[in-house]
Amino acid sequence: MKQIAARIAWSAGLILAVIVMCFSLIHLAPGDVAIVIAGDSGAGDPEVIAEIREDLGLDDPFLVQLGGYVGDVVQGDLGTSYRFNEPVTDLIVTRLWPTFLLVGTAVSFAIVIGVLVGVFTARRPESPISHGVTVFSLTGYSMPVFWTGLLLIIMFASNVQWFPVSGMRDVRLDGNWLEEWVDIAHHLVLPSITLGVIYLAQYSRLSRASMLEVLQSDYVRTARAKGLTERRVVYKHALRNAVIPVVTVAGLQFGQMLSGALLVETVFNWPGLGRLAADSVFQRDAPVLLGILILSSTLVVIINILTDVVYRLIDPRIRVGAATK
Amino acid sequence: MEPVLSVRGLTVTFGSFTAVEDVSFDIHAGQTLAVVGESGSGKSVTALSIMRLVELGTRGKIERGEILFRAPDGEMIDLVQQPEGEMRAIRGNQISMIFQEPLTSLNPVYSVGDQVAEAVILHQGLDKEAANERVLEMFRLVRIPEAEKRMVQFPHEMSGGMRQRVMIAMALSCDPKVLIADEPTTALDVTIQAQILGLMRDLREQTGAAVLIITHDMGVVAEVADDVVVMNRANVVERGPVTQIFEAATEPYTRALLASVPRLGSMAGRDEPAPFDLVEYQP
Amino acid sequence: MTVPVTPVSPEQGDLGPPGRQALRLFIRNKAAVFGLILLVAIVFMTLFGSFFYDQDPSRIIARPLQGPGEGDAPAFGTDYLGRDVLAGVVNGGSTSLTVALVAVLLVAVIGVSIGAVSGYYGGWIDVALMRVTEMFQVLPALLFAMVIVALFEPSTRSVSVAIGLASWPQTARLTRAEFLRLKNLEFVKAARASGASDFRIIWGVIFPNALPPLIVSITLIMGAAILFESGLAFLGLGDPNSQSWGLMIGLSRQTFLNGWWTVTFPGMAIFATVLSFSLIGDGLQDAFNPKLRGR
Repeated sequence: MKQIAARIAWSAGLILAVIVMCFSLIHLAPGDVAIVIAGDSGAGDPEVIAEIREDLGLDDPFLVQLGGYVGDVVQGDLGTSYRFNEPVTDLIVTRLWPTFLLVGTAVSFAIVIGVLVGVFTARRPESPISHGVTVFSLTGYSMPVFWTGLLLIIMFASNVQWFPVSGMRDVRLDGNWLEEWVDIAHHLVLPSITLGVIYLAQYSRLSRASMLEVLQSDYVRTARAKGLTERRVVYKHALRNAVIPVVTVAGLQFGQMLSGALLVETVFNWPGLGRLAADSVFQRDAPVLLGILILSSTLVVIINILTDVVYRLIDPRIRVGAATK
Repeated sequence: MEPVLSVRGLTVTFGSFTAVEDVSFDIHAGQTLAVVGESGSGKSVTALSIMRLVELGTRGKIERGEILFRAPDGEMIDLVQQPEGEMRAIRGNQISMIFQEPLTSLNPVYSVGDQVAEAVILHQGLDKEAANERVLEMFRLVRIPEAEKRMVQFPHEMSGGMRQRVMIAMALSCDPKVLIADEPTTALDVTIQAQILGLMRDLREQTGAAVLIITHDMGVVAEVADDVVVMNRANVVERGPVTQIFEAATEPYTRALLASVPRLGSMAGRDEPAPFDLVEYQP
Repeated sequence: MTVPVTPVSPEQGDLGPPGRQALRLFIRNKAAVFGLILLVAIVFMTLFGSFFYDQDPSRIIARPLQGPGEGDAPAFGTDYLGRDVLAGVVNGGSTSLTVALVAVLLVAVIGVSIGAVSGYYGGWIDVALMRVTEMFQVLPALLFAMVIVALFEPSTRSVSVAIGLASWPQTARLTRAEFLRLKNLEFVKAARASGASDFRIIWGVIFPNALPPLIVSITLIMGAAILFESGLAFLGLGDPNSQSWGLMIGLSRQTFLNGWWTVTFPGMAIFATVLSFSLIGDGLQDAFNPKLRGR
């Protein structure tokens, strides 16, 4: 408990450092945001630009701007979007849950199926399927995620129209909550498979390797010597030990998954954080970009802590010392 | 007297390699049989074959032979011919086993109490509460101090000697007729070894189980065995009561094994410490 | 299972006999050799392909969106403007490979230096450097790289730097771990006892022995950098003046439903390139640690 508390305190410092770094990066970079904003409405009128600079405090010394920003962030205020003229916090919050839904579904799919494949093949190490896992793993890892997405759309949304091409819901639909959920689930299938298949490939191989090792262990022999059924030996005694590395790796890959989600959201027009980020880059909407960078780093940090907690729950040996990457 | 377990002509192979060849011996209730040999002599494979674990988790195959076991109803059954389901009912219940390395032999993610209770629940059909009572009783029997506190601990929180006591408690929890101990003291400190051997001797007297102990250590044999089977390169080379083996071993290999144990006083007459004499044995 | 660690003294040459053994194992690994051949073929295509298939990828040569074999379309069809997809595939590799190579060099230089110094000196230097590393590690790499590229205008240089900056922490951690493992071994102590400078111990004594896992990791990062570059290009954050597989797919995003070939073939090129690095990396891993084979 004490270690977790220390970890949280340290993580807060880490996030603060990330805020300072990202803010400095964006504000010291070439290019004037005022011109960008003015480009839309004021068409480069110097008076308008000066007014915008004044409004945004862009003429203040850098440290004053930084201090002001950090103070606002701590209070949950991430500034105002240049483009949408809306609070960044609101913009991000509405985009957060679609991303969560996508990443959560993809990662659950990858872990559950991956571990099952790993268990199945570890029990038949010489079977063709087992050798297939290695091939599948390298293949899955090597496919560009946006390409997988496009191919799946061609195959399952265009050639045969089993799933919608893009979006998260059907705007024409006017049904009750159940119908809405079914609709979202229907839209979710292809994007989550696209994102999940990379990790499915990796986790199948990882869990096969760890399962093979665990099945050779002395405690599995003990469990068999007790007279337990193979099913119980595998699923009670071996599995819990074998998933430890999978959970650890999955937790550490969360940041990478957010990056993948960004591409998948672009391919499928999924209204999540990734699309918002991609749009904001082109519109040079610095407050939104900063907000997303900060929020996603915070999420990564939180997921790392949660992974640590889960890891401790699964493996009682980890009591001393914080498990870091 | 009829033996509890009778191994006859057992031959076990791993692919083209014969690990155990034509091995026979009997074990009687309340008696301890020691199977002695170097590592690789086939003694552990013999033990795993009796449990029929050699075909589960390793690639061994029982080629020939019988493993006759006197079931509780008095009938002799051949374990080699039993289907896996029947074997599961015997394993951990009527024949149980403890292993060399007590740390790796216990599952790191479950408490030791739960691991022992699992066998009791499985074979005796007790509910969780009654099983825990039984575990407590067993922990006291194997002289684990503060048994209640120990039950909820995990293997890594215990010492090597305590873990081996847990393994023994697990093995004896269903009152087995035969206890197989594969190098039970090899991984332990010398003082703990003596305690565990003493405990096993006492428990054999209390429970009347037959004990098959696998070891390479002639010191352990002298400590606990009634009868001895000496194995070398997959074959039995000598057998007999322990006194006979120690006083008048006929086989050169057995004599070499005996000579490999340093004797008290063997350094008498030397001024300085010196290496032990090498054992000479040419197969 | 404990794998015995046999420290290789640097006097035995760069990789010494273990290197030769690894090479032998690598050559016997069919998948790895396939990867190597695939990579050589792709590099060859990128460097000399235009001699054999002399077609300007940016020129409109036929009606748009004609599939392979339709009308006067070339082998891989035409894109939404009527440009030759095969020409794009043949010429699109140079940007990806150049960017990935520069990015990986950057990763190797930053990652290895920081990891080596951190692991070797320990103490507050280690703490400080590892905190900086962690800061870079919690930022989602693609997002971070996107922001950098957007801030400094997309160009081959800015994309390489962005990928390098977003990818080095992993290498730094690996190098640090290797240095921590190696720095207390006997041959390092011996070098220290003979009065070697810190610089000589880090680069002359420890570094050569830390190479095998680093080589594996760098090979895999090369594949990841290709994916990274193609992702940025797909989003429109590549060098707008260059030909790139990712950019081809990105530009076809609106029209790909009318022409599967416009995205399928460039994607296959990316896939094959990354796969070749994955296979080689995997083969090297097995060759350096024969005990882990098949895992």
